[in-house]
Amino acid sequence: MSIEKGTLEIKALSKSFIVDGNPLQILNNINIVFPAGAFISIVGSSGCGKTTLLRIMLGLETQYEGDALIDGEKIVGPGLNRGIVFQDHRLLPWLTVGENVAFGLEKLKRKEKKLIVDEHLKLVGLSGFVSAYPSQLSGGMAQRVAIARALASKPEILLMDEPLGALDALTRMYMQKELERIWLFEKISMIMVTHDVEEAIYLSDKVVIMSSRPGIIKKIIDVPLPRPRDRASSAFMQIKAEILKEFHLETEYPFAYAI
Amino acid sequence: MSKSFIKHFQWKDKLLALIVPLLLLILWQSAGPLQLVSELILTPPLTLFHTLADLVGSGELTDNIIVSLQRVVIGFLVGASSGFILGIVMGLSPFLKRTLLPLVKSVQQVPEYAWMPLLIILFSVGELPKIIFIAIGAFYPMVFNTFQGISGVPKNYHELANVYNYKNYRYLTKVIIPGALPSIFTGIRLSLGLSWMFVVGAELFGCDSGIGYMMIWGRQMFQIDLVMSGLVVIGAIGFVLNFILEIIEKRLFSWRRSFEGGIA
Repeated sequence: MSIEKGTLEIKALSKSFIVDGNPLQILNNINIVFPAGAFISIVGSSGCGKTTLLRIMLGLETQYEGDALIDGEKIVGPGLNRGIVFQDHRLLPWLTVGENVAFGLEKLKRKEKKLIVDEHLKLVGLSGFVSAYPSQLSGGMAQRVAIARALASKPEILLMDEPLGALDALTRMYMQKELERIWLFEKISMIMVTHDVEEAIYLSDKVVIMSSRPGIIKKIIDVPLPRPRDRASSAFMQIKAEILKEFHLETEYPFAYAI
Repeated sequence: MSKSFIKHFQWKDKLLALIVPLLLLILWQSAGPLQLVSELILTPPLTLFHTLADLVGSGELTDNIIVSLQRVVIGFLVGASSGFILGIVMGLSPFLKRTLLPLVKSVQQVPEYAWMPLLIILFSVGELPKIIFIAIGAFYPMVFNTFQGISGVPKNYHELANVYNYKNYRYLTKVIIPGALPSIFTGIRLSLGLSWMFVVGAELFGCDSGIGYMMIWGRQMFQIDLVMSGLVVIGAIGFVLNFILEIIEKRLFSWRRSFEGGIA
């Protein structure tokens, strides 16, 4: 049996932390397949374990029951086949933009490095900033450099933990468009944790809804809309309503104020 | 705000900083004629300038400065490098931190000059006790600042290094030390400053060369101008050392400057 590269599979996964001597279950029997090349978002209220799930996929958390498989093999630690974009850009302030993008390319020759760095800075629209320092960039620019860094090591899967969470509303909408463009260009799997339902619908093939205490997958909703998507279309609104229903928000507030 | 405006402002600041020293100099020069203090006790600045010129001319001052600077450099290198290594070790290993940090902190409570009698008993009055005396002074700021810098490297960066598989030497040189460098550099500056202060102290205890010795000699011969020349030279050299380090620091940490809008 061969599995297409970029497939991530979670099987019967449970995880608990010890809090004050008592085990606190964070994730309970998670089963899900992230198919190769798909854009999938995980939404849920804070504390539902979505970030923990992402850290398990990244390989930073290794203590759990069940299985986390990439291309059919168990994840034992971080690896360059998975890229990560954190909520904070996490660029090293003493390195230039170019050096930051090249952070995962240590083993390559200088020429190859430069080629890859230039290519990825162009992809995120920041050619010409190669020798700038992170302190000279705006939040949106810094996050784009972080995306370039994550993509530079040619991962099969890009994991993102609320990548646009720290940006202002307008920059955020612009960056959502950029992310879609990058995804269409790179054709790799992307898994994004977010708490912005609209962002999830705008970008994803599927939206995974998690609920908390303990974290379970409540529902997986397909988003079969053509791209680029129109946030104001009735189909878009319908899906949004369907997702918000899962959070019991549909009766308490009008949609416009829900998120 | 335009750049020339900022420059103009800095220029004005510098001028303001000169007013008080200038007034003091005038007061000092006129203290003798006004019969406030005898010129034998408080050498006026103009006389002092002549003494300094004579000292430079005879080569006496330069020789003494070189001897003192040599002691500083050796003592600083020994003390600061051992502080640097111990700081890194304690910053990286929680076990060694728990083992060594309390000891370092308690020994630090011994006032620097209290070491001198012991050092003289152990090593007599040669170069060695002076070097060790300076090294002890240079050690503390370096060990504490290095340790603080290393333990202050954000957890986020450790995670990033982990994700990109940075380990051991590469991890230390590419992530930990650069992350701790601003703090380490503060350590270097304090350390060198203290070394320069302590060399003069070390030379006050049995010595036949150096700036400190020149001042002791001046006191014994009641050559107040010699003593005061020593003070001026010590201050000036300390100032220059600090100035050089500040320039290096600015160059080294250019990445810290905030957005100035002039890059696109």
